[in-house]
Amino acid sequence: MADLESLGEVARTDVLVIGGGIAGLSAAISVKEKNPRLEVLVVEKATAGWAGKAARGGGILAFLTPDDSPEDFVRYHVEHIGCYLEDQELLMEYACTCNQVLELLDSWGARIARDRRGYWKYVKTPGAEVPWGLAGVDLDMCVHLRRRASELGCRFMDKTAIVELLKSGDRVTGAIGFDVRDGSCRLVLARATILATGSQNYRVMPMWSCGRGDGIAAAYRAGACMRNAEFGSFVNMIHVASREVIFGAEDHMFNARGEDISSRYRPGIQPDICAMSAVGWYLEHVEGRAPVRVKAEENVLQIGSEVLFSTDLVWKRPAAIAFWSRLWEKARRAERESDHGMPEIMPGFIGEQSPVMVDHGMATTVPGLFAVGDVSYSGSAWTGAVPSPPGRIRGSGLMNAVWSACRGAASAVEYISGEGPGAGADASLAAESKERIYRPLGRERGVSALEMVRRVQQAVTPVRYSNWKREDRMREALGMVLEAKEVLSSLKGEDPHDLARCNEARSMVLCAEMFYRASLLRKESRGWFLREDYPDTDNSNWLKWIILQDREGEMALWTEDIPLERYPYRPPPGRSATTLAWR
Amino acid sequence: MNRIEIDFQSCEGCRRCVKACFVNVLSWDREACRPVVAHVEDCVHCNLCELSCPSGSIEVMPDFASLDWTAF
Ligand SMILES: Cc1cc2nc3c(=O)[nH]c(=O)nc-3n(C[C@H](O)[C@H](O)[C@H](O)COP(=O)(O)OP(=O)(O)OC[C@H]3O[C@@H](n4cnc5c(N)ncnc54)[C@H](O)[C@@H]3O)c2cc1C
Repeated sequence: MADLESLGEVARTDVLVIGGGIAGLSAAISVKEKNPRLEVLVVEKATAGWAGKAARGGGILAFLTPDDSPEDFVRYHVEHIGCYLEDQELLMEYACTCNQVLELLDSWGARIARDRRGYWKYVKTPGAEVPWGLAGVDLDMCVHLRRRASELGCRFMDKTAIVELLKSGDRVTGAIGFDVRDGSCRLVLARATILATGSQNYRVMPMWSCGRGDGIAAAYRAGACMRNAEFGSFVNMIHVASREVIFGAEDHMFNARGEDISSRYRPGIQPDICAMSAVGWYLEHVEGRAPVRVKAEENVLQIGSEVLFSTDLVWKRPAAIAFWSRLWEKARRAERESDHGMPEIMPGFIGEQSPVMVDHGMATTVPGLFAVGDVSYSGSAWTGAVPSPPGRIRGSGLMNAVWSACRGAASAVEYISGEGPGAGADASLAAESKERIYRPLGRERGVSALEMVRRVQQAVTPVRYSNWKREDRMREALGMVLEAKEVLSSLKGEDPHDLARCNEARSMVLCAEMFYRASLLRKESRGWFLREDYPDTDNSNWLKWIILQDREGEMALWTEDIPLERYPYRPPPGRSATTLAWR
Repeated sequence: MNRIEIDFQSCEGCRRCVKACFVNVLSWDREACRPVVAHVEDCVHCNLCELSCPSGSIEVMPDFASLDWTAF
């Protein structure tokens, strides 16, 4: 039997954090703050502090202002965002404690804008009456967090892609992966493992590129249950020429006849984008009223061609302003001058599947494995019938990342104190994993990772497959995914970087399969989830979570009733019309 | 495909651009102490390499036309 040392360099730690985005860094800091004696190692595919989405996002933090109450937040959320699919107990805990995130980020060195009185400088979502406010943090937040983590003694292993989790019996006891530069094999043995690898995207929209489902796939293969995998079809409305997001475009869409289609598909100003925006765009095309354009001057999120939160009119944030100005400056060059008044838009598919199922302490269903941040946003279920950040609350991604990281860290610390010393890992399983990981490198002929990614993209980007769902179309898309799955065994990698892409492609295929299998099971429309063939919300039959799990190579799916009898808010029984009612 | 150009005359070899890249497009040439554009096909023009360069030696030129996936 192989010993672990013969497979590669073995590192040992108390807590392994996989993924060095904001959730991973927050978890690492939080473990150290709870117990400075515990060793923490953060493994990141790129470079922790600079990696991840937080450094390339809006930097908006949705929190409860002094005028907002947790009860109002929960009620609004249940009725308008998660549509009764929430774990309302966890949602209430979130509402009561999420504001601590701002204090924590501030204490870790992140720069959150303040007003003249020294309170967080916040705005309300323009146009929408919602029980929360938006504060702004600068985009270099993770650099400060990495510095803080280092000061506390956390160690970092950058440029390392984790592929599989290591196990001892039924427990996760570490992970195996490789250095993306030289390909050397790396193993980490840990007493507790915190997964923070982000949500699943499909490399379609540029800034969402780092989440490629590796962590979700590794957790799935380690036996972890997944929940809410059908909420993995997030889109933004984008400029056709540059494919950059036009924030707020969904509220000011006009068809070729000059008709305001936002008020048809998306009545009122809503807190954030919804699936109907993409579906509306699609139907206008199918019914011959394309192209769809946005009236820039009416966009409440923009001033001229500038996006409100990326100017210093709202928050003074030097890194954020530099980032967004550079991005838009280049995009504008691709956009035609004449387009600026009414640019043509289209849905930009993202995905954001985030199904790793966790309990209230962010423990997965596999002992020793915790999941925080985007990777378990939907899987935690506090968020309900939405894909992961922003779900339908702009500014909930960063908040959830830090909030869930602190909970996951507390659980991991407690788990370690109960479990005693590390259990090692099954070396023969690790050897098998290693052999599987490196297989594509030895292949002379086969399918490239990028070709595989393109195949998966074709099965998810069309609105008619992933957002305007119907049994026959989803079966067609699933068929495409399964065809791709068939050729996974011929994936070919040229070098270590390409080997990482092979694993990403494999993870994408798995995530797309989970998405379509779960979507086929849910026979109703609810929140983000829209079916042409089941347009109503069915509260008699579908107040359920769909769970899935690997059972000896087969994807098993089942449902679990939502314990509404324990919750304060319940929907009217029977069927109710969704936003599709206008049809 | 996007293009990335590095002016090696003015590059100070500080390595910030390599750190800044979140999709490992840039690698590091240890001998020359300079960045290498190793996987430009993965560049998603976030521009953080460019923004983090103290000497303005790196430029990302996005190819928006290559973004051709369909929503139909
Ligand atoms: C354009 C954009 C705008 C946004 N705006 C906002 C906003 O204004 N407010 C808000 O709250 N949220 C916003 N979000 C969402 C927010 O950025 C995310 O919710 C948050 O950053 C998630 O953090 P995370 O650490 O869970 O995941 P990520 O940031 O995705 O980090 C995951 C990390 O894991 C690493 N990783 C992945 N796979 C592996 C592997 N196999 N091995 C090792 N490491 C791995 C990745 O490289 C990455 O660094 C925005 C996102 C985008 C893209």
